[in-house]
Amino acid sequence: MKVAIFPPNSMILADLVERRGHEPLVMQRQIRKKVTSAEIDSPPLNITEKEPIEGLKYAAIEVPSGVRGRMALFGPLIEEADAAIIMEDAPFGFGCVGCARTNELCMFNIRKRNIPVLEVTYPTSSEETMELVNKINEFLDSLEDKNG
Amino acid sequence: MSPLKNPESSPKNSDSGKEYTPKAGHDKSPETGKNNSNIAETGCLIPQSEPAEEDGKITRMIILGPSAEISNTELVRNLHMMEFPLTIKTTCYGAAISGEKEDVDEAIKRIRKLDPYNIFTKDRGFPPGDPRRCRAKRGGAREGFHQLEKEFELLDDVSKALKNPRKVKVKKAEKISPEEFKKIAEECK
Repeated sequence: MKVAIFPPNSMILADLVERRGHEPLVMQRQIRKKVTSAEIDSPPLNITEKEPIEGLKYAAIEVPSGVRGRMALFGPLIEEADAAIIMEDAPFGFGCVGCARTNELCMFNIRKRNIPVLEVTYPTSSEETMELVNKINEFLDSLEDKNG
Repeated sequence: MSPLKNPESSPKNSDSGKEYTPKAGHDKSPETGKNNSNIAETGCLIPQSEPAEEDGKITRMIILGPSAEISNTELVRNLHMMEFPLTIKTTCYGAAISGEKEDVDEAIKRIRKLDPYNIFTKDRGFPPGDPRRCRAKRGGAREGFHQLEKEFELLDDVSKALKNPRKVKVKKAEKISPEEFKKIAEECK
């Protein structure tokens, strides 16, 4: 099963999903498509003017181009997902999208899709971390494995 | 560009009448008309590889947890001994491997067996040693390193939890009733 994770570049979440035989939908996959393409003119231009236009599918024209540009990357992952894990209150270091409004929009889109979603909060102690891992594993085991 | 050995196999450019000689991994460039030299405007070398979707090349980071029973050297030696056609790079957190998806996945599967609870892996967008990210060219830590550093703090507890799994109940979030919502709204006034 394809599982979207949020933050979309978290190593711990992606690793836990993979350990249970599911496919994590991570940001790096989208980034790879951008940075290994031979069409890039110059290194910082990973996001071109095309992305904010593609982002119009997920956000209105009044929404800042930064949000739309980011949504052009996250949106397809959310659409592809069969399930999702959202970690709330995660610090910047846990996987930063770089934009609070994009975070909100992503979470809204995930919830709107009516797929199984596990919402957890960032652990602050050792005990909480262990409980979080068990919760994630329990949730992943409860999903039907469509990947075979 | 050097001419192709077999002229029949090279497509002709209808506008200029010139022969187009595809470079390895760059046979899509004639339409764009862009110069595909590997030196970008900034003077950095851009890796000349095909988009990941087409050639199936992926990069993965292998991260050793704080209580790992193997060292970076052992990890890399084991990766080399698998004899997969991979690019393997030793790093401070473990290793970065790059290659065909099947090979990388198989290598990850085998390497996890060495220390299943302390070896973590993560996908990486940029290939190893990419000048846009590699600290050898840019100076300072790679952007993703700070994130890795933060997540590393939790890895010990994560591996403990993986080693000693416990049954927990996952509560399903339910919608609240309008009355309850009214109550919350009034409290927030």
